[in-house]
Amino acid sequence: MKRTVIPFGPQHPVLPEPLVLDLILEDERVVDAVPTIGYIHRGLEMMVEKVEYTEMGFVVERICGICSFMHGMGYCAAIESIMDVEVPERARWLRLIWAEISRIQSHLLWLGLAADAFGFENLFMQVWRMREEVLDIFEQTTGGRIIHSVNRIGGVKRDISDSELAAILARLETLGRDFGTATRVFAKDPSIAHRLGGVGVLTEEEARAVDAVGPMARASGVVMDTRLSGAHLYDRLDFEPVIETAGDCLARVLVRLREVEQSIDLIRQAIDRMPKGEGLPLDNRPRGNPQGEVFTRLEQPRGEVLYYVKANGTKFLERFRARTPTFANIPAMIKLVKGCDLADVPNIILTIDPCISCTER
Amino acid sequence: MDRTAFLSRVEAYRNAGWRLALINATTVMAAEGEEEGAFELAWGFARDGRPGEGADEAAGTLELIRETVKLGEEVPSVSGFFGAAFLYENELRELFGIDVTGIEVDLKGQLYKTATRIPFSHRAVRERLEREARS
Repeated sequence: MKRTVIPFGPQHPVLPEPLVLDLILEDERVVDAVPTIGYIHRGLEMMVEKVEYTEMGFVVERICGICSFMHGMGYCAAIESIMDVEVPERARWLRLIWAEISRIQSHLLWLGLAADAFGFENLFMQVWRMREEVLDIFEQTTGGRIIHSVNRIGGVKRDISDSELAAILARLETLGRDFGTATRVFAKDPSIAHRLGGVGVLTEEEARAVDAVGPMARASGVVMDTRLSGAHLYDRLDFEPVIETAGDCLARVLVRLREVEQSIDLIRQAIDRMPKGEGLPLDNRPRGNPQGEVFTRLEQPRGEVLYYVKANGTKFLERFRARTPTFANIPAMIKLVKGCDLADVPNIILTIDPCISCTER
Repeated sequence: MDRTAFLSRVEAYRNAGWRLALINATTVMAAEGEEEGAFELAWGFARDGRPGEGADEAAGTLELIRETVKLGEEVPSVSGFFGAAFLYENELRELFGIDVTGIEVDLKGQLYKTATRIPFSHRAVRERLEREARS
């Protein structure tokens, strides 16, 4: 049969960022997809050659505007590990709280985009209205809505007072109740189920075969969540990963819906368990330059992110590498689009929650 | 690198249910007096789960296979064992110029669009460092 090549992206109505895929079709069916990275590639990893390690955190948190906080956190954790720095406990809890707030805002952003992609503009508007409230919390506590710059090597730059934490929790719980209405629409509306149910199915076996991560893997029944390793104080919280087993586009929506509720619960637990009081130490800044290497991991909203840092005792790092969750999920995305109808490609691609900024680091 | 021993270690990770978490390369510049540099490679394998829960003692850990290869030395693909490896291996070729052989999905140089051809090659890194030193 004659094959047609259709370029999908870099500009496409369903894509918030410029993903580039060459879709190879036989009639209306996709038989192969070839990804290209580089449309907005910035070479941020290369900047370690001329940006000092103390300043590199500002570059790293600009890898992506959605995961900005967690990129900064992961970078600082890597340097702290090399320099054997003990981060004060309150600072560690604050990082965890901001990380979970990041997860909520990221999932809300994605749920809105998903609603828009399957033609439910009102739902898109409602979810993004809720996300604005989460960004308000970021602005109130860090001074920034997108780029926060609140992490520093050895701790954090700002505290959140106990009374502010209580107010934030109350605000998130109100948001959670409000979000319940949206959750019911996503989970119960027959038009959404018709559009997403049974579309883009990735079985558990296939997810394992392509080493999928994050909600993408969990929606296929794979019990994986880097937070389970217990790092970054997650061992002190009670939680189980959110798992769905259908492996289709709808399952990926349901996982993220439940993870928003889970993150609010984790923030509640963190506020309960963190040391209380004003004036507690927030950082333990190291002296000198790092020497050594480390791999660190975090569970970002899209899944496991992995940082590699190699330092040689000078103020410039020898190597910095970020393996982002979207990069890890590209093989799964290619697997999904092979064999699907052209009309389903936009929804399938969107449900991996592609962050092209992260991939084009 | 010992190709047979390396591939059997990778296969052991696959058979034991580990996940390929990343393949990483670092350009190592030649020391003074040496003719050419090398690449440090690391294959990272993750074991998912909560440490101390259940019978899996490796749960929640990341293990590495490390190799140092010389410029031009062939590196065998592990894409036959791990489906996601092809992406990392195409990256090694295009960003570092490492000769990875037998990649199951060979993107033939189409994965990355970069302003500098092979930006982490020894030559490209040396030129950047010299330019930086001059400025």
